[in-house]
Amino acid sequence: MRLLIVMMLVVVSAANAQVTVVKGFQKRLVAVNGFGTTALGAKLTEVVANDVRLSGYLGLAKAEGAEFVQQGNVRTDGSVECYVTHVVTKKMFLSKAYPGNPDLRRLAHTISDEIVNAITGQRGIAQTKIAFILKRGRDKELAVMDYDGANPHQLTTADRLCAHPRWSPDGTRIIYTSYWQVFPDVLEVNLFSRQRRVIARFPGLNTGAEYSPDGLWIALTLSKDGNPELYTMGVDGSGLRRLTNTRGAESSPTWSPDGRQIAFVSDERGSPQIYVMSRDGGELERLTVSPSYNTEPSWSHPPAGSDMKPMLALTSRVGGKFQVGIYDSGTREVIAKAADGDDNEDPSWSPNGRMLVFAKTRNWRSRFYLLDVVTGEQLELPAFEGGASEPSWGP
Amino acid sequence: MKSKVLTRTMILALVATLSLVGCKKKPLQPTGPTGSGSGNTATPPPITGSDISSGITIAGPGERPLVKPSDLEKRGEFTPVYFDYDSAKIKPSEMPKITTVSEALKGNSKKLVIEGYCDERGTAEYNRALGERRAQAALAELKRFGIDASRLSTISFGKDHPLEQGHDDTAWSRNRRCEFVTLDK
Repeated sequence: MRLLIVMMLVVVSAANAQVTVVKGFQKRLVAVNGFGTTALGAKLTEVVANDVRLSGYLGLAKAEGAEFVQQGNVRTDGSVECYVTHVVTKKMFLSKAYPGNPDLRRLAHTISDEIVNAITGQRGIAQTKIAFILKRGRDKELAVMDYDGANPHQLTTADRLCAHPRWSPDGTRIIYTSYWQVFPDVLEVNLFSRQRRVIARFPGLNTGAEYSPDGLWIALTLSKDGNPELYTMGVDGSGLRRLTNTRGAESSPTWSPDGRQIAFVSDERGSPQIYVMSRDGGELERLTVSPSYNTEPSWSHPPAGSDMKPMLALTSRVGGKFQVGIYDSGTREVIAKAADGDDNEDPSWSPNGRMLVFAKTRNWRSRFYLLDVVTGEQLELPAFEGGASEPSWGP
Repeated sequence: MKSKVLTRTMILALVATLSLVGCKKKPLQPTGPTGSGSGNTATPPPITGSDISSGITIAGPGERPLVKPSDLEKRGEFTPVYFDYDSAKIKPSEMPKITTVSEALKGNSKKLVIEGYCDERGTAEYNRALGERRAQAALAELKRFGIDASRLSTISFGKDHPLEQGHDDTAWSRNRRCEFVTLDK
């Protein structure tokens, strides 16, 4: 069935490319009937329905509008059954029993990802986590939460000021900027040993670090040799290498999916714009030309078999407002994705490459939203008192 | 170079850590603290506490002077130098302030921290770089006045820690600044 749809789209695409892109990625509507009326079943239903709402690939529907119907129940031994059926063909897309788990949210997220995969063949996001910066009065500390905003957990309590968290590709570590010893250093926290180590503490600015896709390297901004420039170094602290040498400032490096290129911000020709260069250094290639302010590039790394292509998200400034957009390498233009009069910034990609999490500020209060880059839909996450910023989506 | 780095490996702040290490990992909540699967709740979810070690291993490269937070509390000795929007250029009208700072550093061996700040109208990391360029512009002028660079260090706070909390031109122009703090040692 899915193959058929794809083939139809290829045929149509010759006639009208724009329509097919939208059509091809339409949400698949699911009626979530849930897991019965017990307290346990109701909780599972609630979380799974919310996962479907936030999934990008799927949407919630009533029975009459749905393409698929989900049904399930909790057995007396605590294990959970889940079925997904195609309404028209009656074909069963998912039929599985899951062992009971006292962590109901985790169990629900596991089931949700299997529903997404059974229907679309794509990887879901329900079991992922997001690191972010939590505002605590004058201080800012590092925190993590589930992708849906549940289970927020503050990792640091006395760093004074933290910024720019980024996950190691294996999800075991987070690298971030910390003013723990007054100056901005780059630190790495191991989420399992719960130990931290300093990655870079040169004179001046140490910030903006991001792991390479193989997890062995870090690109970052240092100002030890003058104005802020880009460098790479091994995660073990060896092999420091300077990449740029400009009159302006370079910041926010982000690796290409193959690890061979690094996109970043430079203002060497006036206003900040996105550039790209080889990880080995060499020439800077300018990507964006307008609008006049483009920052915070984030390169998506969709997994093998994904229906998404690698994309470069960024934050533009237009009419005094931040908006999240995508750089289109074909037209060399920025396509606005979240441009609604609020300040939308700090975009970070879901590991499946379809969703962005970003910080939206309205009336000087900020909260996180998910953005489905295919449909343009924005999905609100729970807010944090005092504010939160710089979300970074984990693998 | 690598071996030099490794021999410098050390652990700081052990005293504060010992009671915290590895004993407070929180069990996962079976029902979840939001109490709702809906993402639309306006109630902020409760945040569980920190349980990572505060002892930090310094294994990476780089070194700079150790400065305690309390060292930077003595503020207001000098007038901040203000900047134009998105600019790290020291305006001629601000130069006398730099002269004053350089005079205060002559005939002694005091060290000086130069802090660079931005207004809120830029994104976080770009502003962090801009704040550093502002601090470095002030540092370059002080060097020109004969102050040895080894006495000077820079910190960029980007758009964090604004002087004024407002969201208008007056607040923004006061927040685009460099502050100067001498260290008593």
